[in-house]
Order: sequence, then structure tokens, then C-alpha cells
Amino acid sequence: MLQEESDLSLIIAQIVQKLKGSNLYSQLERQAWASLQRPEIKLESLKEDIKEFFKISGWEKKLQNAVYSELSVFPLPSHPAAPPEHLKEPLVYMRKAQGSWEKRILKSLNSMCTELSIPLARKRPAGEQKELLNKWNEMGTDEPDLSLFRPVYAPKDFLEVLINLRNPNYENGDSLSFRTHLGLIQVPLKVKDIPELKECFVELGLNIGQLGIDDSTQVPPELFENEHVRIGQKVLAEQDSAAAQQYIRQGSPTALRAELWALILNISSQPEDVLYYEQLKTNVIQHDLLVDSLIYKDVKLTASNDDYYFVFEDYLYQVLLCFSRDTSVLSHFAFNSASPPKSYIRGKLGLEEYAVFYPPNGVIPFHGFSMYVAPLCFLYHEPSKLYQIFREMYVRFFFRLHSISSHPSGIVSLCLLFETLLQTYLPQLFYHLREIGAQPLRISFKWMVRAFSGYLATDQLLLLWDRILGYNSLEILAVLAAAVFAFRAVNLMEVTSLAAAEKKNHLRELKSMYLDDIVKIHGLFWLF
Amino acid sequence: MDGLAFPRIQALGIAAARGKEPKGAPGKSDSGSSRSAGGRVLGCQGAALEVECSAGRGGVVCLAAGCVLLRAPERGWRRGGGAARGIPAGRSSESLGAVSPQEEATIKQSDIRIMAGKVKWVTDIEKSVLINNFEKRGWVQVTENEDWNFYWMSVQTIRNVFSVEAGYRLSDDQIVNHFPNHYELTRKDLMVKNIKRYRKELEKEGSPLAEKDENGKYLYLDFVPVTYMLPADYNLFVEEFRKSPSSTWIMKPCGKAQGKGIFLINKLSQIKKWSRDSKTSSFVSQSNKEAYVISLYINNPLLIGGRKFDLRLYVLVSTYRPLRCYMYKLGFCRFCTVKYTPSTSELDNMFVHLTNVAIQKHGEDYNHIHGGKWTVSNLRLYLESTRGKEVTSKLFDEIHWIIVQSLKAVAPVMNNDKHCFECYGYDIIIDDKLKPWLIEVNASPSLTSSTANDRILKYNLINDTLNIAVPNGEIPDCKWNKSPPKEVLGNYEILYDEELAQGDGADRELRSRQGQSLGPRAGRSRDSGRAVLTTWK
Repeated sequence: MLQEESDLSLIIAQIVQKLKGSNLYSQLERQAWASLQRPEIKLESLKEDIKEFFKISGWEKKLQNAVYSELSVFPLPSHPAAPPEHLKEPLVYMRKAQGSWEKRILKSLNSMCTELSIPLARKRPAGEQKELLNKWNEMGTDEPDLSLFRPVYAPKDFLEVLINLRNPNYENGDSLSFRTHLGLIQVPLKVKDIPELKECFVELGLNIGQLGIDDSTQVPPELFENEHVRIGQKVLAEQDSAAAQQYIRQGSPTALRAELWALILNISSQPEDVLYYEQLKTNVIQHDLLVDSLIYKDVKLTASNDDYYFVFEDYLYQVLLCFSRDTSVLSHFAFNSASPPKSYIRGKLGLEEYAVFYPPNGVIPFHGFSMYVAPLCFLYHEPSKLYQIFREMYVRFFFRLHSISSHPSGIVSLCLLFETLLQTYLPQLFYHLREIGAQPLRISFKWMVRAFSGYLATDQLLLLWDRILGYNSLEILAVLAAAVFAFRAVNLMEVTSLAAAEKKNHLRELKSMYLDDIVKIHGLFWLF
Repeated sequence: MDGLAFPRIQALGIAAARGKEPKGAPGKSDSGSSRSAGGRVLGCQGAALEVECSAGRGGVVCLAAGCVLLRAPERGWRRGGGAARGIPAGRSSESLGAVSPQEEATIKQSDIRIMAGKVKWVTDIEKSVLINNFEKRGWVQVTENEDWNFYWMSVQTIRNVFSVEAGYRLSDDQIVNHFPNHYELTRKDLMVKNIKRYRKELEKEGSPLAEKDENGKYLYLDFVPVTYMLPADYNLFVEEFRKSPSSTWIMKPCGKAQGKGIFLINKLSQIKKWSRDSKTSSFVSQSNKEAYVISLYINNPLLIGGRKFDLRLYVLVSTYRPLRCYMYKLGFCRFCTVKYTPSTSELDNMFVHLTNVAIQKHGEDYNHIHGGKWTVSNLRLYLESTRGKEVTSKLFDEIHWIIVQSLKAVAPVMNNDKHCFECYGYDIIIDDKLKPWLIEVNASPSLTSSTANDRILKYNLINDTLNIAVPNGEIPDCKWNKSPPKEVLGNYEILYDEELAQGDGADRELRSRQGQSLGPRAGRSRDSGRAVLTTWK
């Protein structure tokens, strides 16, 4: 009890600390000063009156949402004596693995620089700046020669790293037992089993109405839907993040999704946010970065060829180029096992005082990175709003899909959860695929790394991401990946090679799949 | 030898069927018996083939010889106005007499084995999506000079078929994919003319649909951009142009498709120059072929991702009187590859303005994976997410409404030939106020597949079209009532059924038409069964 109390006060202290520097804090202060002019504010009951004023004017709600947002983004503080790197990743071997993976990425980036003799960054000449500004809205029509550029890495390179991950303190033992993990991931991490998942994701139970999922209840779908929309409108009217997050667990109505997500992510799109985005845009126009070419290349290789997302090609540049310049992203490295790469001013290599983060946001894009942004284009048509939503989604969720960590939503845990589910509940299928050299994770890894973006039809994908936001967890990705295998089990039992298995789970086929087919037939968790 | 035998066998089939009908189906209702007779005929054609194979030539060839005489003058096209199927009653009883009891027994037996005869098809459009569909049904390809049941033809061919000189007459078991004077709808000038006439008629009747606002604009019937014929309406056009001199106009030749011959103007001098040039270059500039329509250019189109697009929707009409039409759920948006700019300096860059695939294909940025095409369900998902459900449903409702109005406008002048059905490609542009505009209607929507998805879409489009136009894939009988059961509609939904609508009590209060939608779920093309039927019908 005492422990809990001291934890709580620690959390409060941390959040107060964080909010003190925020824009909201100064706004609240200004509002409090201004409220003194009001007749209902009395000197004798000043504190209570101002509190009351905050409540009535909606500022209390804003403060609440901000606190809630801090709570869902930042991990709970660990023991005060723990070093800060424990916040990034408590396990030493994970930290080490992430460190050497970063070195590899950086080496590859540097060698590309040298090979092509292109600087990491340069200031654009005035003429070029003007030209870029003019075509800001149609960067997609530009066809720079990118044939020499290659993505720094692709999901499958990353998978090889995860497969080779080992805990030096853990003796696997040679004797096979029913506990032996037969999958590709060989690190001992605690992942949820089905009863635990069911408890966590209780709203996804078969007896609870879901949007986008027919027939799961006795209630006619229209009736459920109308009622659900009505409640959704109420949640929006209340402007309460926590309520929105709870609500969205049952799926969001299409027309309310954009607002609900913004509410959950606590994005309000104030004029200063628009200004901030414009500043980033200016930075893009002034400086040319090597990562820009990587972003171009990635968009051209992925979203531009996607029949759902090609329309938004220009939006993707407008978001991703600005993202690479955004130093506010750096703060998420406090709880990300990854660390931003450093670069040094020419001739000052290794001198810490000349070190800068590169790219400025510390994130090196890989093959498929732009697919994190693409589905969001269906929801927001103002680039600045789209940008804010993406940045928040990245620092809350997506970074976990390409850094090595022991976090339950981290990619390693997702892989392990996926393999454990299959091995435990579909042992025959798992064994069969393993025997023919088609380890299921080799097929599903890219789905999970991209959070299924580009693999599901957009309406289905958005329903999936609803749940990610609703549960503040990525574990559902692993469960869905396993569910797809269960869904295709009969076909997959017949295949005899990895290539054939890939085909059965083919991208296009996946796109024609509906979550409710999977859930209806198996129940996402009731499936096993 | 085989080629020769073919018509004879068919004659046998018909003769046998006639012989059997009175015994087999006594006291059936009119429509029922004609239907079953049709079916019987097919059965026997197949059976006759069977007879020839199993029993050897002897008797059959001999039997058929008598028929050859009466079939001889008939090949593929039947000329003249005489007997529809070319078998006078008297003759047919003669040939009936030629069927021996044994043979009839054989026919009956094989009748069970092969329930349906094979539809004989012709096409002058060599597209795999067509041919694959015909072959899937086990239909038999013939040449246009042979006896055929189903002809998927180009608009050029249909002109010949129904021209006065040709004097062809189709028989009950022959179906074609165009209405004789489809151009009343599909030629840009005639469509506009018919819609203008329709509006005037409604106004005269005092219909609430013809209500106008204070500026004299139709509230509900203003769905085609202001359009004039050139050179005929030149003076009217000039008058309109002077009212808003900063507007842009688009010139289109009446008789051409796929974006050919189209250009934009924003100065009167340009049109004067055009008129001078066309007069000097060709002497017969006043002829119909040289006629142009000039329409007010929609210069505030809805942009998605900064790009302009138009909608291509497929609409099937099975009969005009009563009007019965279907909407294909899987339409698509066609995107320009170049960013849209309303600036006049780009007037010459057709890639900015025209969304036709035929044009866009030549653009540098044309992508062969998606071909610049976006499904209508994507559009719905996007609009509902960014603009809300109400306005999105209203938009789609209005789109359906203007399609029905355009069909109603031409229904009185359309030659509602019972042998015909038609699948139209509707081109619609949505402006930034989410108002849909009908741009034009194509009688021969492209069946070329630019991408893999496109091929699947078009294959299914033809498949579903055939399921409605040629019930059960059997030899057609054009006298059938043309109301297929729901199960065969595939991705089609009933857009309007005049008989049903009239049963419902004529056109209802117009205002109540808004707020209805295809179905509650966006982006779910799979939700079938929910008819488009909205209250305004």
C-alpha cells in the first residue's frame, strides 16, 4: 500500500514536471489570470472559484486529457535509483543487440554516402529552394534518379537480427521438451497466453458488439451501429480522451474516427501547431538531407504502387520530409531502446561538442516506413493535422516495431507471442510449416513490422488500428497474424514450400480478407 | 462437311421441339409456355447434336435434308420482315412428321443429359474479358453470318444492324448489347438536348422536380454543366460567355470518344480562330461529324491528395419502357497523374484536365500497377472519414438520382427494342461542394484492362451483365419479362424499377430522398442484398 502511494506521488511529480514546460501550462496560467476579472471569482474562495471556472470552461478537461496522454505515452517511473537506460530497456543483452544493430545501419548509411559521394546534409542554393517551394504540393511529379539509392534495410534483414538474438544468461538445453520453443525467436520473454489475452481484450469477446464485425451478437447490426454512433457522438461532445479510448475498443464509426483518434492522441491542431509544421517545412526547403532520397525511394517503391494509397503520394512527402527535421521526436528516445545516430561536423569527427543527431529526428527510415503514414491520409486532409497525428502515432506505437526491446508491444515480444500462439494452439500446422522450411514468422514478420499497413484493405486496417489505440498495445498485431494462419490452416496444411505458403497468404488475398471473417469464424482470441 | 451439317441439326431441334410442346406442356400460362418452349428448343438443339454422334449420320442427315430447304435462305442475319424464326407453321409440322418414334426417344433421353442448348455468340470486339465469359458458359463461337443468339457488338455494327437499308430483323432468340438509338443518350449533344427537353416537360407538368431557385436555376435538374452545340448555338454561347468572361469552357467533338479532339478555351478569340480554321480546313464543316459541344468547365473539382479525378460508373439498362436499370457497385475514380491547377497557363496540358485512361496512359507518371484508378469504396471511405457520413450519403444519393433522371430523359425517345440491353459507362465529376455533375455517357465503356484489378473488375462486370441479360446462360428469349431474381444480380443493384416505383405510388416527396445510402458501412463493397432503392423513387 505504502509502495503504491509512493509510486503514485512519483508519477504525479513526473507528470507535473513534464506539463510545467508545456504550452497548456502557460495557457492555463493565462486563463487563471484572466478569470480574476470575472464577478464570480471571489478573493476569499479564490482557489475553489478558479477550479470551478476551469471545470465550467472546459480547461479542466484539457488538463485531464493532457495527464492521460502523458500516462499512456510514458512508461511508469522505475525505481528512483535505476539508471535512465533502464527506462529505455531494462535488459542488457537487448540494449547491446540494439546498439550493434544501430552500428550496422549507420555503417550502411555512411558507405552509401561515400559510394555516391553525397553529403549527409547540405544547404540548398537559393534557386533550388524556390523551386522546391513551388512544387511543394506536387513533389511526386519530380523523378530524381534514385537508382543508386537503396533502402538502408528491409524488414527481412531486421528479422535475421532478431533470430540471432540470445540471452547469455539463459541455457536453452539440448533436450527437447514440450516447453522447447520451436520457432525462430529464441529469447525467453514473458508473453501473454490466451486466458491473459482474453482478460486484457475483454471488449473483443464474442458476446460484445463490434463495429465492422457482423453477426457476433444477437442484436441486428444496424441497431448496434446506430446506437454505437450515438454514443460516439456523445464521447466527442464530452472531449474526454479516456472515454474515447474506451469507446474505440469496439471499433470506430468511419465518420467519427478522425476526431476520435485526435482526441485519444490529444492532438488539437492549434494555430501554433500549424506554425510549427510550417517551420519544419521551411527547414526542408532550406536543407537537403540524404534521408530525403531514402524517403523518396521508399514512397516510390511502396505507397506509390499501392492501389489504396497512390493518391496520397504528395502528402507522404509532405509528412515524412518534415518528420525527419522534427527534433521534438528525439524526446521519445528516453523510452525507446534505440538511440539517435550521431554525426559530426566535417573535420571534427569524434568530438562530442561537434556532434549532431542525424537525421535531426534521429529516425532512419527503412523499406516500408512510409506505410505508417499512408492509411492516415484517409482520415486527415490538412497536412499539418495529418503530420501531428502521425508523429504521435509514431512515438506511441510504431517505433516499437523496429527497435529491439523486451517491451510487451516491442517487435521481439510480438514475434514470440505469434510463434507461441501457433505452436501452442495450432501445433500440427506449426510443425508442418516448420518441416517444409516455411517458418510462419518468415511470412508474418513484414505484416507486423508494418502494422499490417498495405496488407489489409484500408477500412479493415483502420478498424485494426482502432484497437491498437483503444488498448494502447500492439499485441493485437501478433494475435491477428496468428489468426490469419488459423483462418488459412486447411490450405496451408497442403503447401509444400515457403513460396507456396507465401502465395496462400498472398498480399492480395489478405486484402480481400475481412477481419470479421476471421473473428466470426474463430473469434480473435476464442480462436484457439 | 461439319460446317454444312450445323444449320440442319438446328432445324431438327426446332422441329422436334414444336412437335413435343403440345404434349409436354398443356395448359400453361402464356408467358410460362413461351418460356418453356424456348428452353425446349435449346434442349433439343443439344440433343440433335447428340443424335448425330450416337446414331450415326444416316437417318438424321436424311431427316435434316428436308429442313435444309426451309433453312437455306436464312443465315445469321435474317432479312426482310417475314417470319420471325423463319419456320412457317405448316412446314414445321411437315418436318415433325419426319421424326421417327425411335429418334424421338433418343432425343428425349439426351434431353435429360444435356439440359440446355448452347448459345452461339459473335463479337466484333476481341477482348479477353468478353471471350472468357462466353467460353466459361460453354457458349459456341460462330461468325456473324451464321445463326447467332448473342452478339456483343461495337456501336458501328449496331448502326448497320438497325439501319433502314440493312433491314435486318432479329428473332426472339437473338440479343444484342446496344439499343438501336442509344446515341440519344451517349452522344454528347443529343444527351444535353434530351435532358433540356425533359426539364421543360416536367416544368410544363408542374412537377416539383422542376422547381427553380431565385436565379432561375433548376434546384434538382441542374446536373449537366451548361452546354451548347457548335456551330448551331454559337450566338447563345456568346451570350452566356459574356455573362462570366473569366470562365473556362471545354470543347468536345460530338462523335468522338476517349478524350480525342478535346481542348479548353477561355477567350472568345480562341473559338473564333477555331471556327475559321475548321472552315478552311474542311469544306463540310457544318456536317454532323464536325459538330462540337462546348460546356462550362468544372473549374472547382473536388481534389483528393491534390489531384483531380472523375468517376466511372457502370449502369445496365435492360428495358426503357418500363425503365429498369442497375448500378454496378464496383465503379472507380480515375485520377490525373499531374497535380491539378486551375491556372490558365496550364490550359494546354491535357494531363491536368482529362482523366481518360486513354489520355493518361501517355503521361510520364502513369503507373501500370494501379493505373491511376481508385475504387468507389475507397472514395466513400475517404469522404466519410474526412467530411462525415451525411454529406457522403447525400452525394452518392444524388449521383444515383442524376443517373436515373438522365435515363428518364431519354426513355420516351429510345427505341425500346426487346432484343436489346445496354451497359453504359457514366462519367461524373464531383465539385468541391460535393455536387456531382454528369459529364457524359459511353455506350461502349472500355473493356481494355490496364491492370490486374481492372481485368478482374471488367471480367466480373461482363459476367454479372450477362447473368442479367441472358438468364441462366441459356438461349435467350427476348419476350421474357426481364426481371431476374435477386440472386443473379452479382455486384449490380437495382437502381430504378419503374414498375416497382409506380406500385409504390409515384415519385414521392423529393426532399425525403436525402440521407439514404447504399448501406451503413463504407468501403464494404461486399455487403450485397441492400438495394439502392431510395425513397425518392
